[in-house]
Amino acid sequence: MINSDTIVGLATPSFESAIALIRASGPEISALATDILGSCPLPRQAQHDNYKDLQGQLLDDVLFCFFKGPHSYTGEDILEISCHGNPFIAQKIIDDLLSRGCQMAEPGEFTRRAFLNGKMDLSQAEAVMDLIRARSDRALEAANRQLRGALGKRITLLVDKLLQVVAGIEAYIDFPDEDLPPEDQKQHIDSISSVAEETDKLLATSHYGNIVRDGVRTILIGEPNAGKSSLLNQIVGYNRAIVSPEPGTTRDFLEERFMLGPHCIRFLDTAGLRSEAQSIEKLGIEKTVEQSADADIFLLILDSTQPPPPLPDPIKNRMTLQNTILVCNKNDLAELKEIPREFSQFTLLKTSALDGSGITELQEAIISLVESGRTVIGEDLIAISARHAHALSEVSQCLLNAQKKLASQEPLELVASDLRSSLDNLGQITGRIDNEQMLDKLFASFCIGK
Amino acid sequence: MPTQSTEFDVIVCGAGHAGIEAALAAARLGAKTLVLSGNIDTMGQMSCNPAIGGVAKGHIVREIDALGGEMAVAADVTGIQFRLLNASKGPAVQSPRVQCDKKAYQFRMKHTLELQANLQIFQATVTGLIYAKGKVIGCKTNLDIEFRAKTIVITTGTFLKALMHIGQNKNEGGRMGDHNAKTLSNSFLEAGIELERLKTGTPPRLLGRSIDFSQMQEQKGDDDPTLFGFYDTRGEEELFHVEQFGERRLGWKPGTEQVSCWITYTSPESQRIVTNNLEKSAMYSGEISGTGPRYCPSIEDKYVRFKDRERHTLYLEPEGRNTNEYYINGLSTSLPYDVQNDLIHSIEGLEKAQILRPAYAVEYDFAPPTQLLPSLESRKIENLYFAGQINGTSGYEEAAGQGLIAGVNAARKARGESPLILKRHEGYIGVMIDDLVTKGTKEPYRMFTSRAEHRLLFNHSSAELRLLHHLDLVDLVPPDRLRRIKEKLKHIEYWQNWLEQNTTAGGSWGDLIRRSNPTKELPDDFQNVPDPIKNEVLLRIAYRGYLERERKQIKRLSEIEDIQLPKDINYLNIKGLKKESALKLAETTPFTLGQASRISGVNPSDIGILLVLLKKGNLG
Repeated sequence: MINSDTIVGLATPSFESAIALIRASGPEISALATDILGSCPLPRQAQHDNYKDLQGQLLDDVLFCFFKGPHSYTGEDILEISCHGNPFIAQKIIDDLLSRGCQMAEPGEFTRRAFLNGKMDLSQAEAVMDLIRARSDRALEAANRQLRGALGKRITLLVDKLLQVVAGIEAYIDFPDEDLPPEDQKQHIDSISSVAEETDKLLATSHYGNIVRDGVRTILIGEPNAGKSSLLNQIVGYNRAIVSPEPGTTRDFLEERFMLGPHCIRFLDTAGLRSEAQSIEKLGIEKTVEQSADADIFLLILDSTQPPPPLPDPIKNRMTLQNTILVCNKNDLAELKEIPREFSQFTLLKTSALDGSGITELQEAIISLVESGRTVIGEDLIAISARHAHALSEVSQCLLNAQKKLASQEPLELVASDLRSSLDNLGQITGRIDNEQMLDKLFASFCIGK
Repeated sequence: MPTQSTEFDVIVCGAGHAGIEAALAAARLGAKTLVLSGNIDTMGQMSCNPAIGGVAKGHIVREIDALGGEMAVAADVTGIQFRLLNASKGPAVQSPRVQCDKKAYQFRMKHTLELQANLQIFQATVTGLIYAKGKVIGCKTNLDIEFRAKTIVITTGTFLKALMHIGQNKNEGGRMGDHNAKTLSNSFLEAGIELERLKTGTPPRLLGRSIDFSQMQEQKGDDDPTLFGFYDTRGEEELFHVEQFGERRLGWKPGTEQVSCWITYTSPESQRIVTNNLEKSAMYSGEISGTGPRYCPSIEDKYVRFKDRERHTLYLEPEGRNTNEYYINGLSTSLPYDVQNDLIHSIEGLEKAQILRPAYAVEYDFAPPTQLLPSLESRKIENLYFAGQINGTSGYEEAAGQGLIAGVNAARKARGESPLILKRHEGYIGVMIDDLVTKGTKEPYRMFTSRAEHRLLFNHSSAELRLLHHLDLVDLVPPDRLRRIKEKLKHIEYWQNWLEQNTTAGGSWGDLIRRSNPTKELPDDFQNVPDPIKNEVLLRIAYRGYLERERKQIKRLSEIEDIQLPKDINYLNIKGLKKESALKLAETTPFTLGQASRISGVNPSDIGILLVLLKKGNLG
């Protein structure tokens, strides 16, 4: 484990580009580089090498560049990693650096360090801070949007529960001579594990998790034999080569997701929709309706040789100009006679899964929908959400440590130390959690008053 | 009005726990000091419970001793029962507590002040302050004598516009049997210092021979008492009793001949009496406007807020060796006397108990401490310092800790020296003062270990070591003691390194200690080391990982911690600051970037902006 003073961040915007630059800075960079590469590269010389994560899996083919402080951007030792300009890969590398003990850089932290080490001209620093200011405001806005939503509610609930647990432990530390119920280790362990469970659930459903693991949920809807699967193969097959971080290791990923431009897209193929459905197919239709509930993009595939199918209302109601593309497939066989009036508002594309015509246009249309707003996965959201996820996984780890210590009867103050650091981590999401909040819980729950 | 011709360096107004330490610290630093008290018979009086210390409070007492204060030694010498709280928990949160002989404590304190060089004691009530050009220059008294000084420390406790309540009965006074300070509040308001109201209370005192202790559970002191003073670095010549007038001689050895406390419980009848008479309580009938402490609720509060609790524990604590008076801890109330009487008689063992003094609630003015600098000097009036309950705190220990710092800083200011400011990571006194001046308080502020983010570093026995570098800069302890503290630290570090570097079967001794805490198998040479050193070495080794983690965090924060912010920044005009942050900063006006970063709602990029502007010289 390296020193927590070593910070990591993405130095380039997380859009697709030729390369992405990840920068780590701090006192223990040479130890970090040695940890990854076996030895520290020579200063200021690009070293071409594989990036393997802690588990030894290949993430990308990258350039490492080591700068020895004070001759660096921040004035500290710096390791720069240039990887392929795919935000998904960059995120994987950052995640790995975090798990090697780096700390996610705060907005402006590289600049602050550069500044403190006298590496930056004053007006320069000011300009950089302005930029960071603007960006972190956007990020904050994005975070606030999330925090007002369902995620926010769950995090608030989590903070609340954790405060209750901490109050329960702190009461025994600060008020030993008081009228407390007898100390019950099992109860402490139980309440910590219930909070840990919640944390893990939340971690699994966090926005960051969704985007990185699941991508933009794109649902294919259409009659059986409309050519959904071959269309999918066309789109995915075309892109497969740039997706794979390590063939064979992430089968699900290969099967379901791929990068389209800077975006990770997850295709959900659905059972066909047929008007006179048999009972078994009815189940399939219900499933499709269910899946469409959290879809980000709808691809409605029509068979140019057939009349368009009727759609179940719940699906129809969710389709809007901003999230739907109408695809007339089998364009090589026939021209669609007429577009039903209910679909006429949507962007229309003609494709042939057979000869590949129109596929590029379809990909571009999907990208433009993703970027048009509703399904924002721009830099800020990812950045903020990665921070959330990182904070939550720290919470989870601290809670685990606390449980272990309780079980092995270690002093309560050490258990409390772990619990407090899990609160501090939640505070990075919700804003600083003041000790007063814990005391409020404590005095509400225990009759203190000797 | 006659003015006493001598000008003092420091005047301390009030001789409670804060005033005593302030006066002694100033005088010991060589400042010409005057302490004024409305009644010098009540100097150092324990107005509430007859005990000093407890979790976090005991830590403060040890810090006071490390800084050359008096509370620790006085409590040890006059202690009649010693207990180490949290003995079953880890070393960082263990804390000594001692029942004191109230009168002995008070007499010893008074005598200590009487013998102190550079210190003059005078009995008079301060009625107002004298200002000139935004500075305080002296004070007026009820005897129509004025005093002049370079600096003044206010330690008036609960006496400002104090009003005591027993049911509907009201008496003016900061403590039963004492006066109050009626006009001093106006003197503060005149100077633009804001005041608010707080409330606290105290339980009844009972006659011991009317109590049936046979129905109660005995609580004995520890066989091996833990003392507050660091006697390994200081000679025993400072341990004396006032019975040997004029001579400093030890009476009984601290920790010997201990007496017991007794535990009993309220009954269902007690609950009935309290709930049926709630409307007669001063607090529940709307008589009291001040906010009371949540950690020390009245018995009324306990029954109202925790309806389902069958019974509440009560502790009977002796008030001294030479008195039969008992303090009944846990039964604070503002019910009328007759209800108090019924309530007492409903308690097991107290069926026939006689009340010597009834319980009462007291409300008083305090000056919200956000009006202070971290040195405890007023932001509004130069040379004026505040310490103790006037700052909204509660507790003898909290008061004494502030008093010591205020006394030191008043003396230093009189000489044009920079203030002594303890950091949050150095000890509880640092945490307390930073909390007070940054966040203020809504209820009487009491120290809890949970308030200290670095409490793992704050084991009570390391107070001298943690504060050592301040002792190097400020002459708070005699040179001989300073030398001994340094030797002790060297000794500790020597053994710490030795045990980490030398191996035994299966790794270093350090590893062995972390794995199994084997006290018997350790090398003989180490076994023979004095306990204070041995225990500190073992703690440092056993907690090594945690202590390192804490130190790293402190280091990470320290790069901005001490960067000073100018006084007159207009935060609302700073381009780029989030509006919410700007408002919070403007309201709090922090002194350092570290303090600014602890204000809720201020985020790292705000701090970044301030930092850049500071370096550019564009702030203030």
